[in-house]
Amino acid sequence: MQNSKDYKKVGVLIVGAGPAGLASAIKLKVEMPQLDVCVVEKGADLGNHNLSGAVLEAEPLHTLLDSAVPGWHDSDDAKDVLASKVEKDDVMFFTKKLSFNIFFAIKFARWLGLGFGQMTHKGDYSVSMSKLTKWMGRIAKDLGVEVLTGFAAEDIILDKSARMARAVKLVHQGLDKEANKQPNFIEGEIIGADFVVLAEGCDGLLTEKFIEKAGLERQAPQMYSVGVKELIKVSVEQYDKFTSERVVHAMGYPIWTPFIGPGMFGGGIIYAGQQEHLSVGMIVGADWKYFDFNPQDALVNFKNHKFVKQFIDGGTVVEAGAKMIPEGGYYAIPRDPQNGAIGKGNVLIVGDSAGFVNMLKIKGLHNGIDSGIQAARAIAETIKKPKETALRYTELIDGSNVAQEMWSARNFRQIVGKFGPLQGMPLSVLGALLPKFTIERDYEAMTSLRYRLKPKQEFDKDSFTAMAATQHREEQPSHLTILDSNICQTKCTPSFDTPCITFCPAGVYEMVHDEVKPANPSNCLHCKTCQRKCPFDNIRWTVPEGDGGPRYKRM
Amino acid sequence: MSNYIVLVKQVPDITQITDNAFDPETGTLIRSRLASVINELDTQALALANQMRQDSGDQDGKIVALTMGPPMAEEVLRYCLSRCADMAVLLTDRALGGADTWATANPLAYAVRKIVKDFFNGDNDYYVVSGMQSVDGDTAQVPPQIAEELSLPCIAYVTKAEFLNGRFEFTRIISGGSQVVTARKLPAVITVAKYEYPLFATFAAARWANKVEVIRWGGDDVKARYIGAKGSRTRVIRVFPPAKSTRRCRQVSNVKTLAKLLVESYKGDGEKIGERGEQQRRYQLPDRRADKFDRSFEATQKANEDFKILGETIRELGISEVNQIDEYLKGRILHAAGEHFHKGALEDMINGLQLTNPSFDGEVWVVAEHTAGEIHPATFELIGKARELADSLETKVGVCLAGYKVESMTKGLIAAGADKIYIIEDKLLEVFDPTAYRKAAADAITNYWPQIVLFGATARGRMLAPMVSYRVGCGLTADCTSFDIRDSSRKGQIAILLQTRPALGGNVMATICTKDSRSQMATARPGVIKRPPPDVRRTGELIRHKVKLTDDDISLEIIKTELGAGEVNFNAEIIVSGGRGMQSRDNYERLAGSLCAYLGRKLNCQVEKGASRAAVEQGFVERIHQVGQTGTSVGPKLYIALGISGAIQHMIGVANSETIVAINSDPNAPIFKHCDYYIIGTVEDVVPELVQALEAV
Repeated sequence: MQNSKDYKKVGVLIVGAGPAGLASAIKLKVEMPQLDVCVVEKGADLGNHNLSGAVLEAEPLHTLLDSAVPGWHDSDDAKDVLASKVEKDDVMFFTKKLSFNIFFAIKFARWLGLGFGQMTHKGDYSVSMSKLTKWMGRIAKDLGVEVLTGFAAEDIILDKSARMARAVKLVHQGLDKEANKQPNFIEGEIIGADFVVLAEGCDGLLTEKFIEKAGLERQAPQMYSVGVKELIKVSVEQYDKFTSERVVHAMGYPIWTPFIGPGMFGGGIIYAGQQEHLSVGMIVGADWKYFDFNPQDALVNFKNHKFVKQFIDGGTVVEAGAKMIPEGGYYAIPRDPQNGAIGKGNVLIVGDSAGFVNMLKIKGLHNGIDSGIQAARAIAETIKKPKETALRYTELIDGSNVAQEMWSARNFRQIVGKFGPLQGMPLSVLGALLPKFTIERDYEAMTSLRYRLKPKQEFDKDSFTAMAATQHREEQPSHLTILDSNICQTKCTPSFDTPCITFCPAGVYEMVHDEVKPANPSNCLHCKTCQRKCPFDNIRWTVPEGDGGPRYKRM
Repeated sequence: MSNYIVLVKQVPDITQITDNAFDPETGTLIRSRLASVINELDTQALALANQMRQDSGDQDGKIVALTMGPPMAEEVLRYCLSRCADMAVLLTDRALGGADTWATANPLAYAVRKIVKDFFNGDNDYYVVSGMQSVDGDTAQVPPQIAEELSLPCIAYVTKAEFLNGRFEFTRIISGGSQVVTARKLPAVITVAKYEYPLFATFAAARWANKVEVIRWGGDDVKARYIGAKGSRTRVIRVFPPAKSTRRCRQVSNVKTLAKLLVESYKGDGEKIGERGEQQRRYQLPDRRADKFDRSFEATQKANEDFKILGETIRELGISEVNQIDEYLKGRILHAAGEHFHKGALEDMINGLQLTNPSFDGEVWVVAEHTAGEIHPATFELIGKARELADSLETKVGVCLAGYKVESMTKGLIAAGADKIYIIEDKLLEVFDPTAYRKAAADAITNYWPQIVLFGATARGRMLAPMVSYRVGCGLTADCTSFDIRDSSRKGQIAILLQTRPALGGNVMATICTKDSRSQMATARPGVIKRPPPDVRRTGELIRHKVKLTDDDISLEIIKTELGAGEVNFNAEIIVSGGRGMQSRDNYERLAGSLCAYLGRKLNCQVEKGASRAAVEQGFVERIHQVGQTGTSVGPKLYIALGISGAIQHMIGVANSETIVAINSDPNAPIFKHCDYYIIGTVEDVVPELVQALEAV
């Protein structure tokens, strides 16, 4: 017979089964096999909510696995997940009609020791983030970590002093649309924990609540990018032509054209996957200023560009998805104003939740894993002194490659954000010399300008969402809230024509009886763009019941 | 205090089928490429068992989850444990693999016996609760067969259980409505068709579930009689991809034409009849064939080709009799045929050539279904098919008609093609009770031993057929869409029935034959086989068969029957769905309602209202009507979409419909690319005209 009471308390509770959280869990089990480590994940299965390009700089993962799984190199999983080593690494510049390979410039910058010389990927792996995560989850489970998928955490509960966390609260399950209790209702459980690792990914719900409650601060606001990506099955000829060990990064058209615009930060990617699959994506800084812009429009233009088209024309989209990337860098890391800790007491913030993305490398996965490892080390070292854990974690981070990278890239994204790509890119060479400066938040950038290259046909968001295989139980309260619908009508509609309807990649927002509403919350891809891009900061995303959301398999 | 045994099954997630799940060469679905999940209806069964335990107020009642499958099926048991199950049993053994429903039901029934003995101390106050069917097999056979093995009553298609006056009253779906029944004795088998509130896992229980031990039993623990492929009574001959059902996407400009097409599509007179394109040659018994070496009616293409080569070689060598062939000639044949077959195969084939007698004998039977003095249309369709089969086999068509005062219905059956009607009349058969009816039908079958017995795959037929077939010891194939008589000469089988059915949600087709059985049994999907026009001049013979029935043979007490109300019946033959284009709740009720009512009357069939997510969202209709990937997936004969734009999620949910008709005012509506017929216009204009036009068809 089950006695569930004993199971509502854990030693270490890790919120989010992404690479950072799982790295933490794995390392903890290596350091302290007897410790009771539990990971909660809102996705229905491991990897379902994990999406990235992704290029993996493998060193931290290697270090982790070497200590955790002897002989891991020979496992089928390793051979599958790490099958594609990057041998060819192109950086392109697109104009509407033409494309130029500018990789020589990056190499030159590298030779000069300049910041964006870091933007090389040779020797890295081109991986599927979903598959990597799934693999790490299996390793964690084999080591005795309890990985529980389908459980969504809604809040973090601190003690009176707000210096320590006591518990994490899960969402209610079994409410109907009007929040009435159905016969299968289950009250959101409160899970006690000695340590909490916040590894929720970009714009974490608990992380942001914790920052607020515990009084952590960011020196500069977090900046975001929105990435939309499709996994496309192409012909053998196209795949051979692209080659299986190649990654392409493209700047310029369709999001940046000098002088005539548009002027947005970001670029397109084409990464080779396995078995004739190519990942094609578009990453756009969320500080875009065009009210009618949707990153998917840029993706369409990108896919129609001659250079891209030759590889994907006639292919079939087999998966699609969208996600945000935290790009604010060093100054946007949330810290305790008193001692600089990335967390507080027994609460540690790791990976994308902390914002460990190196914009010069345009990579963060390795830092996510690395920070997870450091968090585990910190907990193991201070297991009897939980009040000191966050500080110890921060010391370890500061002494690690993570902090070094974050520091070197500290101003890059902000400079481009401030001065635009044309002046910003060259200026960023001096990035390390410039002082920190303030920039506006992403949502404040919206203007009444139009995206000049708007495709004629409206993007087919329904098919896109179907390819993300997103699903939620329909009969639950909406997890998206418009705070003040008055603002939508009186301010947003006249100035910006309710851009959430346009930019939400899943078509969640719609006009219902002349009022904009999150009409299709069950389409939500959990990218949270709406929460960060609504020009009036008028949308809040909370977590729906566990199991909901996209079901990425090979993204 | 009741205990509960919940049967669960791990199934491939057919909602997540992507391109790489298909074999690029053969086009067949590779099951191992799909993620595994718990069968959705089984989650509802678990929730119902939990609710029954709660409502009856005895918290001491145990819920035991039971599954049979490979070791990884343990996952579905953990699902149950993390919700409400107290213990879980995994029946797993290599020897159990490859089983059909017969050899699945048998060991599961033995496991149920062992659970009762070991964990319930032999207490017979228990329910076996399971989903009505699994999404992969889709047969709905295992629970009734378990009931048959254990001699228990079976209450199928339950949607609700209420604890009243110390016993459970179950609401279940029946053709055209619902019925409230109770089991006259316990234990009983319950199958769940829809229970809205599946349980959520709790964090605490999920942790416990991951730590608690799942009880593993192998074949030796349960000592079942029929297990694995060996103990099965059916055999899969061939798996192949379904014919690509490309929609016609034909625009219709005239409402009258649309009305005609609607009726034709429903009646199956359209261009797309059945699942096969090419017209098959009618089967001939070997004795009737002009050439005694003619073996061109083999079950597989490969065998046909092999026999063709063999025939030619034999002729070239001047052999006129099969028994002439000695070792020397075999050597010469092998030499002449080159690499086409090896010695063992040749010997099998030569043995096969000597066989001319059909492997089965007896008549071709149809078990008739009737309600309130009316024969179900599916019965007529089956008689038409039986006629065809019987003509090939040179035997008679028999119809088994059980009931009370049913003689008046015999005329229609004979006109439809029956030669003999076996009438079983008894007051106890006045109302359909599965246990009594299965006894009657089984008794007649074992008395006359027809070679083929067909049932309609209706709600009733799908529950009766498994019980009957299990009782008489014969294999059964569910939901067939086509039948052929063929030989499998190399295996020594002549004139056997090939039963072809869709599986895995229609993503693959499988051809199956019966083995180790005296009769070949199948249920057939209503509406797939064309009903021949009746011939009133035909005559037939009435044979009265007496079956001893007593009050003990009645398993259910019927408390209330309601026809045409309450539950949503998405198994209806026609579904009329409304979308955002309906504009308002009034419109939805008026337009969808009138079209539904009219079609139901006009075509005398079941019609149900459906809705797109948008329509439900806008409050036009209750959510239980929602059709689509997130609502209910449906596959009616005719799907009529009113003002539905055709979001892909919706279209996935209706992809199994035979004919899709769309009415939409937006000329660019995506649905037009996924339907058979469409008309551009507002629903408000078109529907009233359509009803008028239907009048004239």
